[in-house]
Amino acid sequence: VFPGVRQAQWLTKTKLVEGLPPAVQGIMDNPALGLPELEERAKHVVSHARLWDTAEVAPRREKYCPVLFENLIHICRLMSGKYPSLSKRMLARNFRIAATWERESILLQVRGLSGILMNSVTPIPPVASKEEILATKEHVLETFYPIAPTIDLQEVNVYKELNDTGQRFRDGYPYSHPHTLFFLESANVRTDRFRPEQLRAKMLMFAFGNALAKAKALHGNDPKVLEQPVVVQSIGTDGQLFQFMVFQLNTTDLVSNDGIKNLVWIDSDQNLYERAQCVPEVKKRVVTKPAGISGFQPDTFKKFLALYLHGTV
Amino acid sequence: MAALGAWRLLRPGRRWFSEMVPGAPLPPDSPLYPPVVASITAKSRAAKSRRLQRFNQRVHAAATVEEKLRLYGKLQRPKYTVYPQTFALNADRWYRSFTRTVLVPGMPPRAAAARPPVAAAGATPEAGRAPKPGAEAPAAAEAPAAVGAPAAAEALGAAKTPEPAVGEAPYVNIGELRSLVCDALLQESFYQNKKRPFLYRDQDHTPGPFLTQLVSTLAASLSGRNPLLAASSLDLNPEVNYYWHHGEEVVVHGHRKGRVDPVRFQIDDNPHLQIRVPKQLPEVVPLESDLGDVPVINHKPSKLPLFKKQYENKVFIGSKVADPCCYGHTQFHLLPDKLKRERFIRERLEDQIEVVYRSNGIASLFAWTAAQAMYQGFWSEADVTRPFVSQAVVTDGKYFAFFCYQLNTLALTAQTIKNNPRKNICWGTDSKPLYDVVEDGNVKGFNDEVLLQLVRFLLNRPKEL
Repeated sequence: VFPGVRQAQWLTKTKLVEGLPPAVQGIMDNPALGLPELEERAKHVVSHARLWDTAEVAPRREKYCPVLFENLIHICRLMSGKYPSLSKRMLARNFRIAATWERESILLQVRGLSGILMNSVTPIPPVASKEEILATKEHVLETFYPIAPTIDLQEVNVYKELNDTGQRFRDGYPYSHPHTLFFLESANVRTDRFRPEQLRAKMLMFAFGNALAKAKALHGNDPKVLEQPVVVQSIGTDGQLFQFMVFQLNTTDLVSNDGIKNLVWIDSDQNLYERAQCVPEVKKRVVTKPAGISGFQPDTFKKFLALYLHGTV
Repeated sequence: MAALGAWRLLRPGRRWFSEMVPGAPLPPDSPLYPPVVASITAKSRAAKSRRLQRFNQRVHAAATVEEKLRLYGKLQRPKYTVYPQTFALNADRWYRSFTRTVLVPGMPPRAAAARPPVAAAGATPEAGRAPKPGAEAPAAAEAPAAVGAPAAAEALGAAKTPEPAVGEAPYVNIGELRSLVCDALLQESFYQNKKRPFLYRDQDHTPGPFLTQLVSTLAASLSGRNPLLAASSLDLNPEVNYYWHHGEEVVVHGHRKGRVDPVRFQIDDNPHLQIRVPKQLPEVVPLESDLGDVPVINHKPSKLPLFKKQYENKVFIGSKVADPCCYGHTQFHLLPDKLKRERFIRERLEDQIEVVYRSNGIASLFAWTAAQAMYQGFWSEADVTRPFVSQAVVTDGKYFAFFCYQLNTLALTAQTIKNNPRKNICWGTDSKPLYDVVEDGNVKGFNDEVLLQLVRFLLNRPKEL
C-alpha cells in the first residue's frame, strides 16, 4: 500500500537514519585493510558468479545469487589470515526465527525462515552514543491514521508465544550472539522476488526479531530500557542490488508509543555492478556491448566487507 | 604440362588451339601431380584414417581452447556413463583400467613440499622438513597434553598445546584447529535445532553442512600460511565433466553394424565442495615414472555394469576457460545414503567399503585433472608436457579417505596408447574415522591424524610460494 519500511518502523518502534553508521564508515576508510587488491578479487568473483560458473551460456538467478554470496563471504573469511579473531564466527543456514512482542495492545509475532545467520562469540559493541539514544525520546513515530498499522499482516490465533532464538540453538552454544543476517532473493521469476522496499522491511523485521530474542535471553522478559543495546546487522541482495542495514535495539518496552526508540541505519539500493553480459551484443555487425562485467562499484563490496568485519576490527 | 603440350603439337593430324612456345623454360621441379592420397568419402580403411587425420589437424589448428573443446566433443555417439560413486563390485579395478591409473596405497612421500611443523615437544631441526608423514603423527600425538576426549570449545583453552613456537618458523596450532573442527561438528549435529532428516536424505542433514563449515573455516584460518589458498576460489556443489575414448569395439547393431569404433566414456561428477587455484600444484614424481601395473580386464565395460547413453560431450572443471583459477587444488566428496557402511556390512560385503572410496577418488580426480589439462590445450593427440596434480578427500561424514592424483598422460585412444609408456598415478589411503561419537556437547575420540592429513592437504602449494 505504501512503503513497507515506514510500517515496519512503527511496528518495531524504530527511528530511521539514512546511510551507514560512522563506526562502519571508519572500517571502510581504514587503509590497513588492503582494499585495492581485494577489489580485483571482488571483480573476479562477480565474473565467476555471473559468467563462468556454468557449462551453459548464462547461469540463472537461482544459481548465481547464492554463488555470488558464497564467493563474497569466502573473500571476507580469507581476511581471517590477517585478523585471527575472525575465525570465531559460524554460519548457520536454513535458520528459523520466532519472536513475540506487544505494540500498543496488539500482539505481534514474527516467524519464518530467515535465510542465513552468522553468529559470533562476541557481541557487536553499540553503534550509537548515549546522547543519540536519548535524543530518540523526542522523535515521534509516524502514524498512518486512518489506516491501522497492522494492515497487510496476517491475523492468526497464537497459542504458544514462541520467544527465542534460544530455541534454535541449545544452551551452552559458544557462538551465541547473532551478528549478521543474510537474505538472498534468488527466485528466477521477478514476481516471486521481494521488491527492494519490501526486502528492506523484511530485513528490519527479522533483525528486530533476532535482537529482541537475544535481549530477552540476556536480560529477561520484562520490558525495559537496555543498558547494553543489542546490535544486529542485515544484508539483503538479489544478486545485483544490495541493501545494508544496522539495527540497534535500545529498549524492549514496546507497548507505549513514546520513550526511547530503537535505531536503524539503512543504506539502500547499492549496485555491485551495472550489467553482466555473457555473450557480446552485436547490432548490425558492430559490437555494442562487449562481454564481461561493466560498471563495477567497489564501494558496495567495501561496505559488505566492513559490515562483516564490524565488531572484530 | 608444357612438355605434354609440346609433344601434342608434333603429332600429325591433331589440331592444337593454344599457342605453346617450344623451348619455354620448364617450371622448377615441383611435383607434376598433387599427392595421391586416399579418398575422403569412400567406405575403406584408408579413407577412414584420412578422415581421422583431417579431424586431428582441425583440432590442432583450432585458435582458442573453447574452439578445441567444441570440435573435440562435436560428434555425439552412444557412450558409457561412468559414475564415480557407484555400488558396482570391484569398480576401482575397472576404473583403473579405463583411465590407465596405477594405485599406490598410502600418501606420497613429500620430501621438500610444504609441511607444517607442528609445535612438538622436541623442536624439529629445520622448519618442519621431516621426511616421512609417519614421523610427525606421533610427534603431534604426544604434543597435546594427553587429551583423551577433547571437550567443547570452552574447555579447549586449557587443552591447547602450551609449547612455544619453534624459533621463527610458523607452526600450526593443532589445538586451535581442533577446536574449530569440533565447533563445526557440534553446531551441525548438536546445537542447532533442525527438523528431522528427510527420508534417505541423512547426508544432507548433518554431514553435508558439517563438511561445508569445516572446509570453509579451515581454509580461511590456514590462508595466512598458504598464499595459494588466499587466492583460491571455493565452489559449492560444482559440476565436473570429462569425455574420452579408450580401446576399440565393433558396433553390435544398427545401421553402423560391423564398424570398428572407439569406446567412449563420460564422467559427470558433482563434488560437494572444491577449491580451485590460479597456480598448479607441484609434481609428486617425474612424468615418466612407473610405480606399478594397470589392471587389464578382458570384458566389455557393460559387464561392470555400465550403460550407454548419447548426450552432450562435456568437458568442464567447474568454471569456464576464462576463469583465472583454472587449476585444481582439492575436492571434497560426500558419499550418499545409498553407499553407507551399514548397508555394505548388512549385505556382507565389507571389502567393498574401501572400493567405494577408491573408485570415487580415482574417477573424480581423473576427470578433474584431465579436464584441467584440456583447458590448457592438451588432448589425446597432443599429450601433456607437465604432470597435473590434484587432491581429493572422500568422506561419509565420519570416515575420511585421502587421495592424490597425478595425471601423466591423456593419450588413451587405441592409436595413441600403442607407444605410450606413461601411466597416471593415484595415491590413496583407507578410510579412517575423524571422531568416535558426539554426545552431550562433547566430541569423543577425536583423531588428530586425520586432521593433520587434512591440514597437510590444504597447505599444499608450489615450491616458489
